[in-house]
Amino acid sequence: MSEEKPATNAESELRPRDGGDRQRFARLRRWWRDYPREMSVAVVGAIWLLLLALCAPGFFVAGNLSDLAVGNAPALMVAIGMTAIIICRQIDISVGAQFAWCTVAAGLLAKSGMPRAGLFLAIPLFGAVLGMLNGWLIAFGGIPSIVATLAISILLRDGLRWIFEGAWIQELPGDFQWLGLGQSSGQWVIVATTLLVWVLATVASGNLAAARAIYATGSNEESARLAGLSPQRITLGVFVFSGALTGVAALLNSVRFSELQSNSGNGLELKTIAAVVIGGTAINGGRGTLVGTLLGVVLLGTIGAALTYLGIHPSWEKAIQGAIVLAAVSIDLLVRRSNGRA
Amino acid sequence: MAVREETGRLTVAPRWQRIFPNREWWLLVALALEILFFGQTGVRFATVENSVEIVRLAVELGLLAIALTPIIVSGGIDLSVGSNMGLAAIFCGWLWHDQGWPIWGSVAATLILGLVLGGFNSLLIGWLRLPPLIVTLGTFSLFRGIAEGLSGGSTSYNGFPAQFLLLGQGYIGGWLPPQSLIFALAIIAYALLLHRTIFGRALYAIGCSPDGARHAGIPVSRRLGLVYLLAGLVSSLAAVVYIAHLGQARSDAGTGYELMAITAVVLGGTSIFGGRGTILGTILGLLAIVVLQNGMRLSGFPAELTGLLTGLLLLATILAERFVPRDRAILKEGHNQPTTEETEVKNRQVAILSAVILLAALIVAASNWMLVRSLKEELSESRSTPAADARRQITVAVMPKAKGDPYFISCRKGAEEAARELGVELIWDGPTDLDPAKQNEVVEGWITRKVDVIAVSVENEAAISTVLRKARARGIGVLTWDADAQPDARDYFVNQATPQGIGNTLTDEAARIMNGTGEMAVITGSLSAANQNEWIRFIRERLAAKYPSMKLVAVQPSGGDRDRAFAEAQNLLKVYPRLKTIVAIDAPSVPGAAEAVRQAGRRDVKVTGLSLPNLCKPYVHDGVLDSVVLWDTFNLGYLTVLAASELHQGRLPAGTTSINARRLGKIEVRDGQIILGSPFIFNRDNIDRFDF
Repeated sequence: MSEEKPATNAESELRPRDGGDRQRFARLRRWWRDYPREMSVAVVGAIWLLLLALCAPGFFVAGNLSDLAVGNAPALMVAIGMTAIIICRQIDISVGAQFAWCTVAAGLLAKSGMPRAGLFLAIPLFGAVLGMLNGWLIAFGGIPSIVATLAISILLRDGLRWIFEGAWIQELPGDFQWLGLGQSSGQWVIVATTLLVWVLATVASGNLAAARAIYATGSNEESARLAGLSPQRITLGVFVFSGALTGVAALLNSVRFSELQSNSGNGLELKTIAAVVIGGTAINGGRGTLVGTLLGVVLLGTIGAALTYLGIHPSWEKAIQGAIVLAAVSIDLLVRRSNGRA
Repeated sequence: MAVREETGRLTVAPRWQRIFPNREWWLLVALALEILFFGQTGVRFATVENSVEIVRLAVELGLLAIALTPIIVSGGIDLSVGSNMGLAAIFCGWLWHDQGWPIWGSVAATLILGLVLGGFNSLLIGWLRLPPLIVTLGTFSLFRGIAEGLSGGSTSYNGFPAQFLLLGQGYIGGWLPPQSLIFALAIIAYALLLHRTIFGRALYAIGCSPDGARHAGIPVSRRLGLVYLLAGLVSSLAAVVYIAHLGQARSDAGTGYELMAITAVVLGGTSIFGGRGTILGTILGLLAIVVLQNGMRLSGFPAELTGLLTGLLLLATILAERFVPRDRAILKEGHNQPTTEETEVKNRQVAILSAVILLAALIVAASNWMLVRSLKEELSESRSTPAADARRQITVAVMPKAKGDPYFISCRKGAEEAARELGVELIWDGPTDLDPAKQNEVVEGWITRKVDVIAVSVENEAAISTVLRKARARGIGVLTWDADAQPDARDYFVNQATPQGIGNTLTDEAARIMNGTGEMAVITGSLSAANQNEWIRFIRERLAAKYPSMKLVAVQPSGGDRDRAFAEAQNLLKVYPRLKTIVAIDAPSVPGAAEAVRQAGRRDVKVTGLSLPNLCKPYVHDGVLDSVVLWDTFNLGYLTVLAASELHQGRLPAGTTSINARRLGKIEVRDGQIILGSPFIFNRDNIDRFDF
């Protein structure tokens, strides 16, 4: 992670969109050129799903797909925030710990009798405060994000262990699970909320000035400053945004259960970073899309379940995840190089 | 950096600044403060014996940290070193145990494997020029995944020859741990490489600016490739030391070490952006962390507090670096601002000031060391003179497998009750996660503290037996409870129920639910947990012997995480539609599986398993959860402390057949085992009577 970065990184994002070319074939080719990673992940994902369809047709039962959607919605929510952070050329390895704190906060507040609407305000706010802590240390404290969030992650996790000693939060009010809506509509709310946030964020990432400012900051902080932006405030804002989304994710995850464990979100940080990276977001900042992130979450989220369907021993899951991350970055590189030559 | 070019002329920094270019001296102050503090609070902290143990515990982590230093100096990072250790450990055990290689041959092959794994990283980073963070994030999963896949997560190799184990557990000349020699050699080699060769200077140049380095004629790819290659080699060396230290090779060796090692390196003044850092700084950072861990343990502070303090220390170091005025050239590294005359003067002033502080701190530390030692000797003398004083309070140290587990929290209540009744001083400490290496460290700490009795719930018997034998040799009474070690490593095993009894009860419960015919599945905690694997083995045996028409279709791990158990149960329900029973044998997995069955609306599937009544009450009343099998955890904790007290007072000689366990009545003792009773079955009718 050097301060200097190759100038080629931001090129594809910043290339002006010429409206003259309307032929569909040409457009496809342009997608390949502009979004090589998203396209290659989509192709790999399609092959993977096709393979599953052949070997384990049972995988594509509506019940299974909805379970997977509900189970992976919180991860997608966290990954949206993580995408913004990585585009801004930062990283956050404390999201798992933030997730655990938000879960515990949701449980305790619900137990104290806070109404459901209040929860939806309070928990994202709480997450935003945790994110602000990170953001402040990084933007104004000048600490590299990987170090700051590593330290915060250790602090939050061990703090939680110290306070709760692993005890669960039980005897939640009856209308906490599924927000009192019943299982099927509760599940719909979880998936719909996540997709709504995803669509809004995707639209915003292309059109909102604030979102473009994130790309600018991640692409080259000094240029962004010279262009009149405030990289410090943008960095702080990105962490607050991610923290708030982590709060929403924790809340959506906890309403699936009637009891809450106090050490949830284990390994969430690495899972979401991997999903974002698979989706083509450059770790050097300035480049990445939420479409890619969605694809990355889908790919990673289906592996665990698919192994059970295929009857493969569960201990291989990590190896396959690692191989996918490496394959995604290598393919991307090869596509880029061949594009460069052509 | 020792020599800095400033406006066209070379200035040689003062000598002390050449040794501590990034003001790592403050770590010496921190270290002195730690020693000062723990010298007062810790029992037998400031002894030569303990210092030697600290070094022994630091070697594996230290090897990774010094291998990471040049990588981070060059602006990169390697997250895969811990996973590399896991794969190397499994490979070494497999060659020696399964392939029948001689031990030193397997060690050599393991080092070569380390080179290959490091070479894979260096290929992707050096040759393909992929970002190191991504590549090593990928190999972090990949290496650990291959290790788990090959071993099925559950195989662990032990029984290594004594000659090899001496490397990790023995003493040279009666006091020097042999692995410290390996560590010293690695330190010297790396210090020479980084600070005394052109190669090392090239790494600093690359860390400051890769493009600049390239223009200066440095072969950046090759230089970077080599440091990752070396990191692979050193990681496998750390794996060999780890095996010799713990006496076993398993796939989870080195889990989480990468982040601890990075913490040590960054604490030692190495910039995560590259371009500066020293081996000496890394070693100071490492010592600051390890001494903190050890001191907290000997002072009886909870382990979680160590993590909190480490995190704070890390933040404080970097914030201090940022806000205390200092050489701007280093501060604004990335912006390449020239140093001005003014800051140079300030440097010198800061230099003198720091040297004075450093000297003062060292004097304080040294005098304190002497003072504490002399005090300790006086105290121990005054303690030992009235030797007949049998009413001196005895200290019993009890270790759970993992402190945060609700199961062990409920055991603790019983242990505390017994300690109150008997007037025993109870120390309750252990790893925060399942981790056999941490268990060893805690026991080492207790031996140094010279507690009277140690009672351990063993995570892995091969790993801990050596250190328990050492405790016995030092005259400390050793009990195991909940899960046993090797029989000669302890005096008695407080056995809540035999693995066979548990396996049989669970199988019988499943058979009752499904009328002895149909498909069942098991959700276990971790595929590497010895006692859970034992239960699964007895479940299989019981099925084969008594219920031929019942079939065990799958065993899935939950990692002790309720949410993952929930997802696994969801999958099982769909993949095996004829499933009739899910047997979960891990406390959080039972409510997880029950929730999944409830949400799936499958009235035809029932859950049973080993868990705590409190976690399961709502599901039992729901009817999803048919029954929960467990012993009374409160009584288990109670009996453990009571037996420890009896053992210390010499009331448990060999051949004892029963003990009077106060409120528990008469308890049977057989074959070195103190047996609590048979497992208890909680169901809808009786579960509300229990609160744990």
